[in-house]
Amino acid sequence: MNVILHTLNASPASSACSDCLRLLASGDALLLLGDGVYAALAGSADRARLDASGAAVYVLDTDAAAAGVLSRVDGVTIIDIDGFVALTEQCSRQLAWY
Amino acid sequence: MIYSLLVMSSPASGQCATTAAQFARAVLARGHSIKRVFFLDKGTSSGSAMAVFPQDEADRLAPWVELAEQHQVELILCIASALKYGMLDATEAQRREKPAATVHPAFSVSGLGQLVEAASAADRLITFGG
Repeated sequence: MNVILHTLNASPASSACSDCLRLLASGDALLLLGDGVYAALAGSADRARLDASGAAVYVLDTDAAAAGVLSRVDGVTIIDIDGFVALTEQCSRQLAWY
Repeated sequence: MIYSLLVMSSPASGQCATTAAQFARAVLARGHSIKRVFFLDKGTSSGSAMAVFPQDEADRLAPWVELAEQHQVELILCIASALKYGMLDATEAQRREKPAATVHPAFSVSGLGQLVEAASAADRLITFGG
């Protein structure tokens, strides 16, 4: 599958995050990790942009738990490290935003 | 599939360097192989034999050493980055007349060509930055 996996490890305030959101296309996959997990917060402006992008959005469970947002990311898929590897199996290319 | 990893995250701040080590282990657990892990910029600190982390925090070195020793994963520190961060293996410490080697023996110090070769020999190159 020639799908791009974007990995975002940067806060919503960063230019890396806005650049990522600008390039995110329908059908892409996006994994939020590190400070990137805050972009999945339900009700936030960035979350609205993620939902509108048509991309499949995932958050890494350990980072979301560490950030205390695990209960506030309804609607995105929470995955563990094994799920991260599975995403890289499906996506032939990765774009790392940080 | 064959994976290579590029680790640019510092083990001293944030979770990403630890995530990279967990990812490497998960790659192997899913039946893939790892051609090489290449550490660049701040990521080279992951090879430090000297860093001491608080007792209530996870050991950042042990997961990499385990990958090298138990699964023969090749761990390479970019030499240009490593020297700037004071990451010297025994050969470099001797050559530069420094008092001690600082790199754990599970890691090697080598050139950027190792990253290019790792990328071309792998089906996937996964980058960990920030």
